[in-house]
Amino acid sequence: MQKTKTKILRVSKKISPKIKKIDENTSEEDIITRKIKKNDENTSDEDIIANLKIDMLSEEEENFSDLDSQSTKSADKEENDDSIEQHSENEKFVLDDITDNEEENENFNNETSEVGESNDYIAGDSLDENDLESNEDNKTLSESEETETHYVVGANGRPRKILPEIEPVYDSDSSTENPINSVGNIPMEWYDDYPHIGYDIDGKKIMKPAKGDELDKFLENMEDPDSWMSAKDNLLQQNVKLTDEELEIIRRIQMGSFPEKDFDPYEPTVEWFTSKPEVMPLNATPEPKRRFIPSKWEAKRIMKIVRAIRQGRIVLGKTQVQKPRFYNLWNENDQPREEHPMHIPAPKMKLPGHDESYNPPAEYLLTDKEKEEWEQMDPDDREKNYIPQKYSCLRNVPAYNRFIQERFNRCLDLYLAPRVRKNKLNIDPESLIPKLPNPKDLQPFPTSLTLSYDGHTGRVRCISIDPTGLWLVSGSDDKTIRLWEIITGRCVKTWEIEDIVYSIAWCPIREVCAFIFSCSNKVGVILPTGICDDEVALSTSQYVTSGFNITQRKDEKVKLVEWMKPTDEQNKNGILLFIHHAHNKTIKQIAWHRKGDYFSSISPDAGNQGILIHQLSKHQSQQPFRKTRGIVQCVKFHPIKPLFFVATQRYVRVYNLMKQELTRTLQSGVKWISSLDVHPMGDNVIVGSYDKKLCWFDLDLSPRPYRTLCYHTKAIRNVVYHKRLPLFASCSDDGSIQIFHGMVYNDLLQNPLIVPVKILKAGHQIVDSLGVLNCEFHPIQPWIISSGADHTIKLWT
Amino acid sequence: MGKLKQKGKAGAAINYINRSQALKKLQISLADFRRLCILKGIYPREPKNKKKANKGSTAPTTFYFIKDVQYLAHEPVLQKFREHKIFLRKLNKAIGKREFSIAKNLEQNKPIYTLDHILKERYPTFTDALRDLDDALCMLFLFSTFPATDKIKTEIVTNCQRLCVEFQHYVIHTRSLRKVFLSIKGIYYQAEIKGQTITWLVPYQFSQQVPDDVDFRVMLTFLEFYQTHLGFVNFKLYTDVNLVYPPKLDSSKDEGAAGLGALIIETTNNLVGLSSISHDSEIIKVESNNTDRKAESEKRLKTLSKKLATIKEQVESTSEIQPSIAEKSETTNYDDSAEIMDEFTEQNNISQDQKHILSKIYTYRDIQTASVALTEFENLFSNCIFYLSREVPRYSLEFTIRAFGGQVGWDETCGIGSPFNESDDRITHHIVDRPTLSHKFLPRIYVQPQWVYDCLNIRKLLKTDPYQPGKTLPPHLSPFVEHKEGDYVPDVKNEFEGDMERVEVSNEQEEEESSNEENDSDDDKPEIRSSHDKTIVNLPIKVNESDNEDMIHQMELEAEATGISFSKYQEQQDRLAKRQKTQSTNNTKAQQSSIQTVVTGKKRAAKEIEEKEVKELAKIMMTKKQKTLYNKIQYGKKKQQEKVENLQRKKREIISQQKKRPTSNNDDDNNNSNKKKTKHRK
Repeated sequence: MQKTKTKILRVSKKISPKIKKIDENTSEEDIITRKIKKNDENTSDEDIIANLKIDMLSEEEENFSDLDSQSTKSADKEENDDSIEQHSENEKFVLDDITDNEEENENFNNETSEVGESNDYIAGDSLDENDLESNEDNKTLSESEETETHYVVGANGRPRKILPEIEPVYDSDSSTENPINSVGNIPMEWYDDYPHIGYDIDGKKIMKPAKGDELDKFLENMEDPDSWMSAKDNLLQQNVKLTDEELEIIRRIQMGSFPEKDFDPYEPTVEWFTSKPEVMPLNATPEPKRRFIPSKWEAKRIMKIVRAIRQGRIVLGKTQVQKPRFYNLWNENDQPREEHPMHIPAPKMKLPGHDESYNPPAEYLLTDKEKEEWEQMDPDDREKNYIPQKYSCLRNVPAYNRFIQERFNRCLDLYLAPRVRKNKLNIDPESLIPKLPNPKDLQPFPTSLTLSYDGHTGRVRCISIDPTGLWLVSGSDDKTIRLWEIITGRCVKTWEIEDIVYSIAWCPIREVCAFIFSCSNKVGVILPTGICDDEVALSTSQYVTSGFNITQRKDEKVKLVEWMKPTDEQNKNGILLFIHHAHNKTIKQIAWHRKGDYFSSISPDAGNQGILIHQLSKHQSQQPFRKTRGIVQCVKFHPIKPLFFVATQRYVRVYNLMKQELTRTLQSGVKWISSLDVHPMGDNVIVGSYDKKLCWFDLDLSPRPYRTLCYHTKAIRNVVYHKRLPLFASCSDDGSIQIFHGMVYNDLLQNPLIVPVKILKAGHQIVDSLGVLNCEFHPIQPWIISSGADHTIKLWT
Repeated sequence: MGKLKQKGKAGAAINYINRSQALKKLQISLADFRRLCILKGIYPREPKNKKKANKGSTAPTTFYFIKDVQYLAHEPVLQKFREHKIFLRKLNKAIGKREFSIAKNLEQNKPIYTLDHILKERYPTFTDALRDLDDALCMLFLFSTFPATDKIKTEIVTNCQRLCVEFQHYVIHTRSLRKVFLSIKGIYYQAEIKGQTITWLVPYQFSQQVPDDVDFRVMLTFLEFYQTHLGFVNFKLYTDVNLVYPPKLDSSKDEGAAGLGALIIETTNNLVGLSSISHDSEIIKVESNNTDRKAESEKRLKTLSKKLATIKEQVESTSEIQPSIAEKSETTNYDDSAEIMDEFTEQNNISQDQKHILSKIYTYRDIQTASVALTEFENLFSNCIFYLSREVPRYSLEFTIRAFGGQVGWDETCGIGSPFNESDDRITHHIVDRPTLSHKFLPRIYVQPQWVYDCLNIRKLLKTDPYQPGKTLPPHLSPFVEHKEGDYVPDVKNEFEGDMERVEVSNEQEEEESSNEENDSDDDKPEIRSSHDKTIVNLPIKVNESDNEDMIHQMELEAEATGISFSKYQEQQDRLAKRQKTQSTNNTKAQQSSIQTVVTGKKRAAKEIEEKEVKELAKIMMTKKQKTLYNKIQYGKKKQQEKVENLQRKKREIISQQKKRPTSNNDDDNNNSNKKKTKHRK
């Protein structure tokens, strides 16, 4: 007798009931049905759905319990005691798997009709007598339960019935357990962030069970002997101990057999469509023609193969003839590859040196310090990728442990390293040094230190030599001006001035024996009595002071300067006049015009009034530029033409004083010009800069330097030309004076010849990182006089 | 006006392509591209101007030459790669469907690619192939020592082993090994084959520890190409010397770790087993080899004489002797006409540049002596019979000794195939590497393995005393180092005292010669100068005698006209004056002369200082570019010098330490420390 066990898991209006298992072998027939009571007409669809959810949950449980029941009777008991009412009947109730949609539809129709009748679910899909009976049974049950239902307001605001509490009976598997989670078949990780894991049937939150840390888990595992056979229930976040039956299933799955012990995969087929011709065929279409003729496509396919065989593309029973792997690839008339600049062959590996030997000479071994250095170095920076080692005999030599890596690196180099052709310079470094005429041929020039003029007690900022070449005046930070005899080094006279003397300059004409100096915002004129004869002295003082008699022009809006008479005491000392500048800024430089009448005074901070030109004979001053561009560093008058050179930080501007216009701008390319000098011929200019560079400009050639030389190690302080000889010099803060031979040719096509001839070192000491502050050539002799921050003046001959 | 040039339309912008662009263009994966690059020998380039090549960006990019990538596009191997991809897909599908017959069919018709055409393309001539053999040999020798792992199949390893052994046989057969060097990394061999020097490195015979940080896919792709490379080269080499390729493999010997002996080398005419055991056949072989050698050398000589003739034609020194000599050298046999041949380089009227060429020309005698020396060198060990003890590296020594005509036997534990056993009377040298010997055969010489290598590097049989077992060995120097001027030359003369001649000595001689030459050239210069002087000075006769100032002025002017600077002129005058003075004061005493020398020494120092100063001054006038270049060169020189000085200093320290300490102690210490090391290693 066949026993069919079915379980109705879910019943609804829309979904047809499903049959889970059909087991014909079981001896007993029991149909377990789950009844879900249908409320009266007032309950809405949503209620039903809520109920359905519950059912779906219990379904899973039942799957397990169902399986259990098959093996043991006790399990059956459990089934019967399920929390939701179940009903079993000992009636034959065969339900087939439904595969056809139509059938399903049918079922659906049946069902709906039944629903119309009884408002209840049925436990089967085929209309059967048994089924009807069971329905009746169900009805009675539902009626009895209807009386007990209560309603509460549900989560959605609608009334929801409260199901009666179920008596926990002994052995009931769900009653004593936690409330059933009713979230349904959703991914449980959605609740990861919440304290609860779902809702029970009453809509109350089910809180997550307390979770221990890893240690607790471990301890739990260790203490619980059954931990190996428990699995985590994802829905309730709990460990559930698996039953023997469940374990058996797992074992069977692991073995690869069917989970159910009693499942027979080879049961006799039910022949729905038999081989025997029916009396009434299902359809009356005649057999098609293709059933009786050979296939065209097969023929085509075969013909393809036949053709291939005929053509020899397919050789039947072909034994593969092994061609010799290697043969003569190269022969005599191979043409070598043409040289192509883009073809760069890989360089060969470097051949080993003595230190790579297993037994090198002892001096090749690294000392401890070198070894440490080697180890600390980045592996890429190491010159050699090994440490030389010495072994007493070949037997002791170990395997080189980086052999494969090095081979691999070589491989990487071969295919990954960019190749570039680098021409190895094979030039004699001496050939790079330009061939210059021997300095000996370019004599005379100053070569050695001859005299030192000591006496100043501060930095000697400025010096000037009188046009006859006999006298020297120097101005210093010790607020004195001293007059020296050049030949002897004797200090002839000293003038005390109220401030630091920044600049000093002899009048360039011999007829006038006087020099001017600048201190703070004053420019003074001094007639050094005693060094010139009385006639000259008289004429000079007349020349200088004659301006006082001329009436001052009154039309000047702003008085730039005030020409003042000195006090008597000062007059006794030889000071002839003072020029007070209206701006209270320091005058840094004064420069004579060649005729000895005009001179210019500069104070870089004074803005518009930075450059002033004074006329000594008439005691007049004027402001040549309404506006100065940049900070003026120094100025110079052209020795022949009426040109005026103004050096700002980066540019040297050349103005024509007659036409009153800018003739050209020299772009030095240096950062900060310190000094400037014009060649006595007037066509060349040298510019020294604080950034150690010296630029030689050829005014006929270009506004850019003809040569830029960088040889001093510190800022250049001053550059000068010799008045007569082809010499120029630069002095710098590094304490040296560099003498050049700078020949300028009359031929315009020939470039000036610049040859360094002498470095005058070891004269001035460097004090506070200041070296030689000023230098000047003797007007006649090939001598140079320099003044330094070490309070001395030196004569080099 | 020409066409306006657009940016990015010519030059570097279109000559180079970066890697991702190349991948896109070829439509292959990076792995396939890498394989193709390795196989085809395509490498990235460094464009001169990165910005121009990379659309103005200076980001680090790998550039390939566009033409390389274009050639890759229709590479047959690339097509095969694609076919292979399809094949794999089909195969997987078939296996997935459990259609095993189809899978088997597919497997049989698997697309196979060969690299022959790539090899030919990369190396159009055989010489090219030989030139690039270094890396191939290194790689194959390395892989032949590899353990078979999941990445490296056994077939590959055995194939590598076979190819290497074949190549070694060729080297032995043609006696083309030149240098061997035992380094800490492995053993370097250098052979000269068809005029190409080939160097390869063989690791010591230890099982390789396969590191993790090595990408074996790259290595195996290289290996794939190198196997083909060496295979074809071996074929060509073997067939060129009338040997059968591939040589037969004696499997029983191979299993017995016979190494080189496992292959049976056959000539195309008659069978000559190189590894045959019988002594007679060995002698025959040697003889035949010798005859071969003779014929070869004769041939070489002939070609050389031809070369000589051509060089002479280049020289065009017009004398009738030369062509006649050249003719003779072609016609006459080299044995009897040697006396006539030589000394033709001594010719008087040769201009300087011709002299330069001639300095490279060798006389016939030179060539002959050289060839004789070479044959002698190639048969260095022909009179020696070696026996290898158990602890010496057999494979290396066997190869080395046989490559120089020696015979080797070895202990049975090292492998089978030894032609004689330990107690054989013929053995002349017994190579051992252990401090003490329990049993000694009297007639033979016991040496350490380094002796063999040192002998062949020095090209002479060295005295065996310093190499006796247990003794501290003299240092093993690299034969690859060519000492240039200013390099540090390790001084190992002490170790080779006695009747032995050292290469160092000859080197020094050469150096001396070269220095002599330099001196000569130095000597030449003054001569030239003096002649120059004469031309100028000849104009005013007897300068000093003429007191007339006008005369002097005239002379100065003339000197200026000839373009001599005043200082030089003065120097000349001084020199002339001196000469006259010395002539006049020839009779003065020796003391005076000594004083003079002192004075001249001082003067020289002053002069040096002056010159230095002038140089310093001239440096000012250098442009920035020149200055940096100059400084760079000087920096490099300084570094080199520092290294040399460091070595010299260490050497001095070592010598002083040795003087302080008795040598025996030192040796013992060394031994002990080494023993410790070995223990530690074990």
